[in-house]
Amino acid sequence: MKEKTPLMQRDSTRSVLASLLSILIGLVAGALVVLLVGVFNKSLSLKSAWEGIQLIFLGIVSTGRNAAGGLTFGFNPVTFGNMLFRATPLILTGLSVAVAYKTGLFNIGAPGQYLAGTAATLFIALEIPSEVVPAWLIWILAFLGGMAAGALWGAIPGMLKAFLNINEVLACIMTNWISANLVTWVFDVSNLKNTVENTKTAYIYKTSFNGVQTPKMFLDKIFPGSQVNGGIIIAILLAVLMYIVFAKTTFGYELKACGANRHAAKYAGIKDKRSIVLSMAIAGAMSGAGASLYWLAGNTEFFWSTYQSLPATGFNGIPVALLAVCNPIAVIFTGMFMSMLDIAGLQLTNLTAYNEYITDVIIAVIVYLSAFSLVIKLWLGGKAKKKAGPKPDANAEPAVPAASAADGGKEGKE
Amino acid sequence: MEKTPEYVIEMLHITKEFPGIKANDDITLQLRKGEIHALLGENGAGKSTLMSVLFGLYQPEQGEIRKNGQPVKIESPNDATALHIGMVHQHFQLVDVFTVLDNIILGAEDTKMGFLQKKNARAKVKALSEQYGLLVDLDAKVEDITVGMQQRTEILKMLYRDNEILIFDEPTAVLTPQEIEELMQIMKNLAAEGKSILFISHKLNEIMEVSDRVTVLRKGKYVGTIDTAGTTKEELSRMMVGRPVQLVVDKAPAQPKEAVLTVEGLTVPSKVHKNDAVKNVSFTAHAGEIVCIAGIDGNGQTEFVQALTGLEKASAGKITLCGHDITHQSIRARSQTGMSHIPEDRHKHGLVLDFTLEQNMVLQRYYEPRFQNHGFIRFDAVRSYAEDLIEQYDVRSGQGPVTIARSMSGGNQQKAIVAREIDRDLPLIVAVQPTRGLDVGAIEYIHSQLVAQRDAGKAVLLVSLELDEVMNLSDRILVMYEGEIVGELDPKKTTVEELGLYMAGAKRQGKERETA
Repeated sequence: MKEKTPLMQRDSTRSVLASLLSILIGLVAGALVVLLVGVFNKSLSLKSAWEGIQLIFLGIVSTGRNAAGGLTFGFNPVTFGNMLFRATPLILTGLSVAVAYKTGLFNIGAPGQYLAGTAATLFIALEIPSEVVPAWLIWILAFLGGMAAGALWGAIPGMLKAFLNINEVLACIMTNWISANLVTWVFDVSNLKNTVENTKTAYIYKTSFNGVQTPKMFLDKIFPGSQVNGGIIIAILLAVLMYIVFAKTTFGYELKACGANRHAAKYAGIKDKRSIVLSMAIAGAMSGAGASLYWLAGNTEFFWSTYQSLPATGFNGIPVALLAVCNPIAVIFTGMFMSMLDIAGLQLTNLTAYNEYITDVIIAVIVYLSAFSLVIKLWLGGKAKKKAGPKPDANAEPAVPAASAADGGKEGKE
Repeated sequence: MEKTPEYVIEMLHITKEFPGIKANDDITLQLRKGEIHALLGENGAGKSTLMSVLFGLYQPEQGEIRKNGQPVKIESPNDATALHIGMVHQHFQLVDVFTVLDNIILGAEDTKMGFLQKKNARAKVKALSEQYGLLVDLDAKVEDITVGMQQRTEILKMLYRDNEILIFDEPTAVLTPQEIEELMQIMKNLAAEGKSILFISHKLNEIMEVSDRVTVLRKGKYVGTIDTAGTTKEELSRMMVGRPVQLVVDKAPAQPKEAVLTVEGLTVPSKVHKNDAVKNVSFTAHAGEIVCIAGIDGNGQTEFVQALTGLEKASAGKITLCGHDITHQSIRARSQTGMSHIPEDRHKHGLVLDFTLEQNMVLQRYYEPRFQNHGFIRFDAVRSYAEDLIEQYDVRSGQGPVTIARSMSGGNQQKAIVAREIDRDLPLIVAVQPTRGLDVGAIEYIHSQLVAQRDAGKAVLLVSLELDEVMNLSDRILVMYEGEIVGELDPKKTTVEELGLYMAGAKRQGKERETA
């Protein structure tokens, strides 16, 4: 009983393998697309197709071209730092989807929550005069404000679910669009439109115009020349916090119990309605935090005009969470991986005749496969069992009546 | 081994293995034409596996199946259908939004140029339903009819396909006593008309009443086949469990002490109709006694328990527990005041099926200082507590405390709930249908636990639909009919017949009934 299960038979091992396999298949599919485009497009040679494939797998360590025109690889602090910078909001929207999923809710409202966080953060960061209030305090207020706005926007579908039993997916889709239009209108009537750098139109001021921006926390020393800042550290800390809350605390136990069986949770005296609203609020807060950290970077500009589409960062939280099997710690890595694909796309555009849309194909394949990751996991499980051989299943104690193994899924049917 | 064609179906020396376990080990089952043959065994004895083999869902490693003396191969449910074998599953396979007639003909429709021809089908179904006394409204939608009618629809489905061998998989688990009575009659009619019936059950009363012969399985092995007429319930249960089982609860007379629970004028509105589901119910339960609320399903018991435990709100009345007015308290507050609750539906309320056994074991007390430290769960304390309960209450599972509750057998799931609730050691135990769907061994165990709790000075409020359980276990019976308490009976001074009259509303005590 006490002895450890072999590594290959552990559930967690299989989850990790399934995700890695999804990623690998996605990358191979992307490489195939690159190859096919290269073969059928006259302006592209086979050599450039090979270069494209290399960049898909190794874009993150690409350092450009040498004098002879060949691709060079090595540690590239700029792309690495940029990768971390772009991963920051992805990790947080991924967390948003993952923690909701852990409590039995599918949070497809991350884009709306992200936008709500965006609006709150920018207004607080730009409207409070930094001559009066110290910039670090504005930063904290803007960050907390973004989280609160996201939490509020997440709590709305949560309340609809808890009190009126309206499916959270439907409510989230609607609140997404309400958020998109509301945020457009709010900026439309605001005086935050960038009139200083008037070469560009329809942009909101960077928060750095008000002297507010996320401290670099020495990351600029490690990755000189990149956009990275302390946001990534905050994102990682939040992921660890979520992990602790859901795996170790009674609060997390309540939320998970409520998600897995609302009726049983209620029977046990857990306030089911409160739990559902809180789950969605926490999920929304994560999305809001993602928006805050992205816009507080100081070098990002929000394009407000006719903001009639939903931010991809919000939706990309879904594959990030699914690839991570909704484990908050794994979300850190899958978020970084998704932003690595972004970087690879940029490298393709910069260094070859391909454009970055190839990476969208890869992401699409991975999204499909991550939905299948459970199937892959089961398949891996089947392989592991076969390897274990015909000796009696370690799981079945002799004391157990034949039923539990034999009737399998049929059990507990009365 | 007889090989006369007197048997319509023979399953000879069937062995079916799953990794690490022999679900069926050399089992022989022979079904005569026109007989009702019961297949008896505890949960997990291999009954379902054997029937799945007959129905073509599993292929046996050894053994053969014969029909009318001829060996046959059944490799899929289609083969079984071709051999005129039909099955009524425990969970009905009906399309809720279709009418009864549409459900019956589904998969065997008459068509003409691609258009449905229901006229002949309707005539055939009508004739069948009259022939066997299967009354259903052919044009009603399945979602609108009672469970009993749904079952009759399933039976008509088999008959419509001219099935000769009918398998009933625990058909009475979902029925009310009246519906069970009707089903027994229907089965007898079917057998009289020459159909051969395999009746899977672990309810001894029903087997004794309806079957001609019984085959008993235990832990995947064949124990024997005997004529029902020449046996007793005691013998059957001994064959099934492997040791003598006490069918009658052994208990000393109750010694009621102080009042633990007082309910005064409790009224609960109904969710389905405009009237109140529970009307002005008053009674008292004392320490050291088992008070039973008896009644036919749907007479307000569920609503009463929900109001008592706080799952739903009462519209009027007062509930006092251990001297505290808990009428408007939350579920958690009631539970902390001194109420444990073995719920009616163990899957809906009793367990979080996707949690592990140990997580379920602390479902009611995870927040106690013993199991948490500043909001952090003390996993070692949870583990050792769960291990204690598993050991003490003999809860069997594949992987002990880390078993996912969903993968456990129904009996062990119920044992886990009973262990959790009893171990909280609270003055009042509300036990709602604590033995539903369990086999005799588990029933015996749970009954003895409840009696032990009574003797330890707890008040036990039992809500049950099973007449045997009511008569056996309780010290005092309150009969609930249409939301009212219509009678208070002493099980020692009353008969099942009299109890039945009260339950059916044919008899009631006047206002002179004391509220004890």
